[in-house]
Amino acid sequence: MPFIRKVHKWVGLLIGIQVFLWLLSGLMISLLDPAKVSGQYQARPAQANTQNLPSGSLLEPQELAQDQLADALSIELGMNRGKPVYRVRHSDDVILLDAIDGSAIVTSQMNAESLARQDYSGDGAIASVTRGMAPDMETRNHKGEYWRVNFSDHVNTSLYISAVDGRILERRNDFWRVRDFFWMLHIMDYAGRDNFNNALLIGIALIVIWLGLSGLIMLFSSFTRYDFYFLNVFQAAKQRTVTLIDPEDGSARELKIRRGANLFLALSEQGTDLPSICGGGGDCGKCRVKLESANLPEPNPTEQGLLPKALRKQGFRLACQHHVAENLRLHLPNKS
Amino acid sequence: MRNRAIHIRLIHKWLGLLVGLQVLIWLGSGLYMVLLDINFIHGDSLVKNMQQTVAIPQNPATDMAGLRARYANATAIRLTAVMGKTFYTVTTPDERVLIDTESGNVISPLDEKTASEIARFHFNGDAGVKKASLITSDPPMEIQTRQLPLWRIDFNDGYNTSFYVDPYTGTLVTRRFQYWRIFDFMWMLHIMDYQDRADAHNLLLKTAQASGLLFCISGLWLLFYSFSGRRRKEPDRP
Repeated sequence: MPFIRKVHKWVGLLIGIQVFLWLLSGLMISLLDPAKVSGQYQARPAQANTQNLPSGSLLEPQELAQDQLADALSIELGMNRGKPVYRVRHSDDVILLDAIDGSAIVTSQMNAESLARQDYSGDGAIASVTRGMAPDMETRNHKGEYWRVNFSDHVNTSLYISAVDGRILERRNDFWRVRDFFWMLHIMDYAGRDNFNNALLIGIALIVIWLGLSGLIMLFSSFTRYDFYFLNVFQAAKQRTVTLIDPEDGSARELKIRRGANLFLALSEQGTDLPSICGGGGDCGKCRVKLESANLPEPNPTEQGLLPKALRKQGFRLACQHHVAENLRLHLPNKS
Repeated sequence: MRNRAIHIRLIHKWLGLLVGLQVLIWLGSGLYMVLLDINFIHGDSLVKNMQQTVAIPQNPATDMAGLRARYANATAIRLTAVMGKTFYTVTTPDERVLIDTESGNVISPLDEKTASEIARFHFNGDAGVKKASLITSDPPMEIQTRQLPLWRIDFNDGYNTSFYVDPYTGTLVTRRFQYWRIFDFMWMLHIMDYQDRADAHNLLLKTAQASGLLFCISGLWLLFYSFSGRRRKEPDRP
């Protein structure tokens, strides 16, 4: 058990702060409202694309510029902002071709602003528009060029709009930014905030699991059935008499202590605080008392580590390591 | 004055009883999700032929204009590749239709044999198809959000691999196997939503997290007491 306790303490010391950050970030992520984080709370409901294709003359795929179609994964004739277009999807991008004249379609800044205004239902106005050529932290799940439309609301909403087909790529705001920061802390990917299979996280998780397992083992050893005595309200507690002997004048004082109670805690409850730094953890070895009893308990491994053999032989024990089983006499330490 | 460490230690001990097991479950489920590569979990190693390019039909039996005439309420017509051949998928507000570009025939909904062939075409392995079933209602949890109906093609590969094929587009919609299902179970344990495995904002989770946080803070606090005033064992005197 001293070994298990040592593992628990040292892992706790080394990476307890990360466990704290995991719990804190997990809690923060749960507390943030998902509708706010996603920006849905100030987005107008999307209208299903139910516009029919026009019946007039349109280009066939064979009539489009074939180099644009090379290696396409799909080619779809559909409607985009009221116009028939071919949407050509490649493995890492999408291009739009006008189905009437075959020209490439892009989303201009003006288009982007009007699309952003259509989508946004908050009370801000467009404050600025910038163009992005490559994904940044807020658009990291997308490839291709985009417009970033910033609104002047109190959560600094930014709508990201594809510069190709005008899709709303992302709705970002300060709720999302806070959430993303905590997500970064949670998965320990400080650069990309995306990869939870990173080596740092794996390494720390493999160490911290020992904190949990050692804690679980200690949970079993630190509780006894007497800890649950309060649940048993009908049965009177059996009491034991502990006689405290004053080191100065040898006077004796009797205390009634519930059978099974931890000696160190029971004395503390009755106003007799033994010297201690760790508070009953079996770490500091300061709560040593000399016991006299018909059945003197054997010193456990913790005491073997903290008490010299000579003292153990004289009957010295650590109060925090023993439960009150029998009546016993106990020599208090000198005050000095 | 009573030793403050006593109180902190008692708090840590009782919170350990209350949420200790859940903290351990968080650590264990987190470890599983972190250790196994997410692309592997997504089944990237189970599939092949996933990036099929479309060959533009040069003499199709029917062209886009013909299809627009045939389906006047079409909202989209798509050219896609299924098992290396090019097909049309027509979408209308009421239906989706898969059409062979060579014959112009409607071939959807795909039958069991074709769906199995498509699954085999994408399966990266030698195992045969164990079972094919058409799911039209009450989807299993692992495809909860997908549009039905779907063919479920189970493989005989020791990982309980299931491929889900859309009978109206011929696409492999998704794939699931043992490691994905364990991951999903771990995720459920992690977010404590035992019903739908989706709501990471439920009250039980938040309560456990807040208690876990107190548990952790009390533990960190105890470190000060446990590491201060440490002394070496005194030498054994005769």
